[in-house]
Amino acid sequence: MKASALAAELTKTRRLRTGLMTLALAVAVTGLTIASAATSPAFSSPQDSWSALLAGIGLAFPVCSPLLLAVLASRQVDIEHQSNGWIFAQTSRVTPGALCRLKLLTTGPGVGLATITASLLVLAFGLLAGDGGAPPWGLWVGYTLCVLAVNLVVLGLHILLAARIQNQLVGLGIGVLGTLFGVFASAMPAAIAHITPWGYYSLVAVAEYQGEELMLQRPAVVSIAALAALAALGFTAVTTFFDHKEA
Amino acid sequence: MQALRAEFIKLKRSLSWTVVFLLPLVMVLSGAVNTLMAGEQPDDGWHTMWLRSAVFYGLFPLAVGIGILASLVWRSEHQGGNWNALMSGPTSTWRIVAAKAGSLSLLTAGMQILLLSSVAAVGKLVFGLPGMPPPDYLGITALIAVACLPVAVLQSGLSMIFRSFAVPIAVAFTGAGLAVVLLLAELPGLVWVFPYALIGRTTQLGTGTFADSGHISAVDVLTVLGASGLLTVVLLFGSVAWLERKDF
Repeated sequence: MKASALAAELTKTRRLRTGLMTLALAVAVTGLTIASAATSPAFSSPQDSWSALLAGIGLAFPVCSPLLLAVLASRQVDIEHQSNGWIFAQTSRVTPGALCRLKLLTTGPGVGLATITASLLVLAFGLLAGDGGAPPWGLWVGYTLCVLAVNLVVLGLHILLAARIQNQLVGLGIGVLGTLFGVFASAMPAAIAHITPWGYYSLVAVAEYQGEELMLQRPAVVSIAALAALAALGFTAVTTFFDHKEA
Repeated sequence: MQALRAEFIKLKRSLSWTVVFLLPLVMVLSGAVNTLMAGEQPDDGWHTMWLRSAVFYGLFPLAVGIGILASLVWRSEHQGGNWNALMSGPTSTWRIVAAKAGSLSLLTAGMQILLLSSVAAVGKLVFGLPGMPPPDYLGITALIAVACLPVAVLQSGLSMIFRSFAVPIAVAFTGAGLAVVLLLAELPGLVWVFPYALIGRTTQLGTGTFADSGHISAVDVLTVLGASGLLTVVLLFGSVAWLERKDF
């Protein structure tokens, strides 16, 4: 992979205000988590304080991520459709598939940073304003890593969608449907949640209400690992197909 | 009127109907599937059906839906040399802005009618609820359509300013997120003057969720109408002023 192509892709992210989008993701998740936890009676109870924050962040990610990731991917890819960038890149020996991989490589770290920042900000809020003692470190780290993996999978999927379908309405519409599926998947059986990448937001949740009670649980690590491996294979296969497809 | 007709001709092939039809339908179906998955029935009949469909819809999908429609309404103008053609034509700035906002408001009103129709259809066909939804919901539907006017004008203005299809939608989503924080914090003063919070608050009327008492008073209705009217006029003048000053 040429360093110059990577540098060009990074320049595009600056021009497209990708940093602002990822900042919006971090702020939205943090704001929604703090607002929902602060208004929840469980947050003021010492034994449920951390659970309330984990439940809040477990809802905030599926609400905020799908659409903002769709916007991010859509903007990053749309410029190639607008300015015939696919052919222009090919003349510089950067194939469409390689261009998609570069786009994931340049936007992925921003999404990762936003995910970790949101998690750290919520953790800091819990330490400063909560009354629940030491945080459940293992669950917190596990949740952050798992939701990061889901976010990257969803981002990759949207990059491929945006590259294949020029109409941005489709990608953003799928983002909206993904949000709904991500939010409502927690009420569905786990088998159904496994069907789409957005359902995995509910599988990584480590705190959820069972009736009136807040229960802690381990994230479905095996499912997330399988999703990540399958997504990596799928992304490689589809981008390789793009490389061999006539422009 | 001619400008408005022209807008609908432009929208014919824009797939805007998919948003108008699918978004309310998907929201109602999501609420119904959720209820079925939990092995429950709508305990309070039509009230539960409405509550499960409309409240979440008003929190962010509705604002995002209006954002998508606004981007579709303005997309054709940002392509090729259409912007110059629009600006150099005989149609005044005021009529352009009003026609765009008007077409968007009509599409948005259509979404609300479809929401109520979907609630009625799913309530009857899936849950076998007796009778039809109470007439109150027709009034609330009309109020939601009115409360959507400021957001429609604002989103139309944003899609006019930004060439990007996706950025105004991201703004709508962020605005809706901020509105959820205001609604959770129960700040009535700010809720009525922030367009995205206004639609969220209006979809909650009569549901007893968030800060809603569960009863709709004349004050509630007049506040929605007053706030919507005032915000719509201010945002419409703002959009016209921006287009008058910035386009040269």
